[in-house]
Amino acid sequence: MTLSATPLTPEIVSRDGNAMVLSMGPQHPSTHGVLQIMLEIDGETVVTAEPEIGYLHTGIEKTAENLFWSQAQTVIERMDYLAPESNGLCYVLGVEKLLGISDRIPPRAQQIRVLIAELTRIASHCVWLGTGGIDLGAISGFFYAFDLRENVLDLQEAAGGARMHPNYMRVGGVNGDLPSGFLPKLDDLLAKLPGRMRELRGLLQANPILQDRTIDVGILSAEEALQWSLTGPALRASGVAYDVRKAFPYSGYDRYEFDVPTRTEGDAYARFLVRLDEIDQSLRILKQVRKDLDTPGPVMIDDTKVAAPPKETIALSMEALIHHFKIVSEGFRVPPGDVYQSVEGPRGELGYYIVSDGGNRPFRVRTRPPSLYNLQALKGIAPGNLIADLVVMIGSLDPVFGEVDR
Amino acid sequence: MPSTQTPPIAGLAIDPPSLRPPIDDAVIERVEPAGLHARLEELAAGGFTMLLDLGAVDYPQREPRYDVVYHLLKLPATAATVAEAGTPVRMRVLCGVPGERPQLPSATGIWKSADWAEREIYDLFGIVFEGHPDLRRIQMPGDWEGHPLRKDYPLRGPAREKAPRPPFALKSNVQAGTPPTGRTLEALQEQIARVREEGASP
Repeated sequence: MTLSATPLTPEIVSRDGNAMVLSMGPQHPSTHGVLQIMLEIDGETVVTAEPEIGYLHTGIEKTAENLFWSQAQTVIERMDYLAPESNGLCYVLGVEKLLGISDRIPPRAQQIRVLIAELTRIASHCVWLGTGGIDLGAISGFFYAFDLRENVLDLQEAAGGARMHPNYMRVGGVNGDLPSGFLPKLDDLLAKLPGRMRELRGLLQANPILQDRTIDVGILSAEEALQWSLTGPALRASGVAYDVRKAFPYSGYDRYEFDVPTRTEGDAYARFLVRLDEIDQSLRILKQVRKDLDTPGPVMIDDTKVAAPPKETIALSMEALIHHFKIVSEGFRVPPGDVYQSVEGPRGELGYYIVSDGGNRPFRVRTRPPSLYNLQALKGIAPGNLIADLVVMIGSLDPVFGEVDR
Repeated sequence: MPSTQTPPIAGLAIDPPSLRPPIDDAVIERVEPAGLHARLEELAAGGFTMLLDLGAVDYPQREPRYDVVYHLLKLPATAATVAEAGTPVRMRVLCGVPGERPQLPSATGIWKSADWAEREIYDLFGIVFEGHPDLRRIQMPGDWEGHPLRKDYPLRGPAREKAPRPPFALKSNVQAGTPPTGRTLEALQEQIARVREEGASP
């Protein structure tokens, strides 16, 4: 029994005696955003599930076409609001490739980029861990995870100036060096993280209720996962070791030692474990980056056509003043061409297909949102499962709706 | 309403992908719409298991006007370790679509994940995918007119007649200084004075 191609209506319609169409959401406490799912159910069992998205559509891609290259980054970082700097990093890397300055980014800028990207990953996984636990009734894990996230956001605020959307990545480097007092704070966090992770694992991983709710729920084989274009932790939980940081290294990730955690079960519990292991691997990377950060150096490319010269030189040099004025008032131009750049975001492969026509604004910025493709896989995972497990499955795919709807 | 922003410094490139600098990000191939489906099937059978992304670009001054861009990844399902996955081949298949009656065959039969991506292109660019099982708008409301990501679609939406403001919100309907209850300060003071007088004369 399958549904016709016509749009489903939200009223409850009885069919074939037992089956009915039921609307779940868009206002539902455990849908992690504004998501409506049109369910065809037979008793408690899901027959088909069709997610209806678009409630959060804000036209970010259209807006970006009307802003300068540097301004567009601001709206682009609003897509995945739990990991804004991953978006910023990916966009910046793409624009740098078009400009042909990828190999001239100072090493310290690249180290800071890796640092911020991994911190963002930890913060994002903490949100997922906390809210995912709440979906299952494990309330206390939420406070531990969000406390940890707050520590990470403090660091982000110290470096970029804002908790949520620091807009710290810039074409050509990062916006200013790390402030004094940042590194001791980072050391504190690195010292605190392993213990906090042990507590979280004790609270959640070994929890029999959580195991009962997640093991063998929402199983996806490796072939199916590839068919649905799953990436990130969701793909690695199905046994495919694809990580953009390893496959297509960027920002010097090839210099750091880390493993790519995988599982073969492909169920919600496997996705949960892979994310927990990823936090541990991020910690490993952070420790290696920390050693590099003791060496001072420039954090912005020395090219006044792309990056505004330092503020203090403006009072001394006429040329610096002119360059500064040009960058601020009309931005920089990017040579025509198209490029596909991707990074490993917390949710999977985050990609941008950027087209420039030679002007000072992006001609087209097409996002490859990992959440969109991961959420779409719900259509393949949900059938045959219970309605009560649907919430677990959505949680295990970890969609962010700012990114799904853009 | 026209955009109040200054017009962009127009780039002169009419067909940017043909001018791209040498960037090593993918193997690039351009396919005609007629041969697209066969070529995609051939690639899928040849190991391109994943459709990474499917997007579109509008080049208004060029013919064919649209480009539909398929990003493919050659990733075996058996790649259980990082070494086995290695550096998978990334491929980009570009397909020009004419501005008049834009149509392409659907790839949903090859990769399931093409479903929402094709709906999005239909929604935002108006390119019709033949053979798609459920082609309807995905981001915009179902009764929306126009396709917002086309270059000729204004940034702030189509010109609309200004809806009249409801009368209760108009300032001219409310007397200055009148409290929401309708009782002015003077009326209140009069009432207080009256009550006091009544209380004073037994």
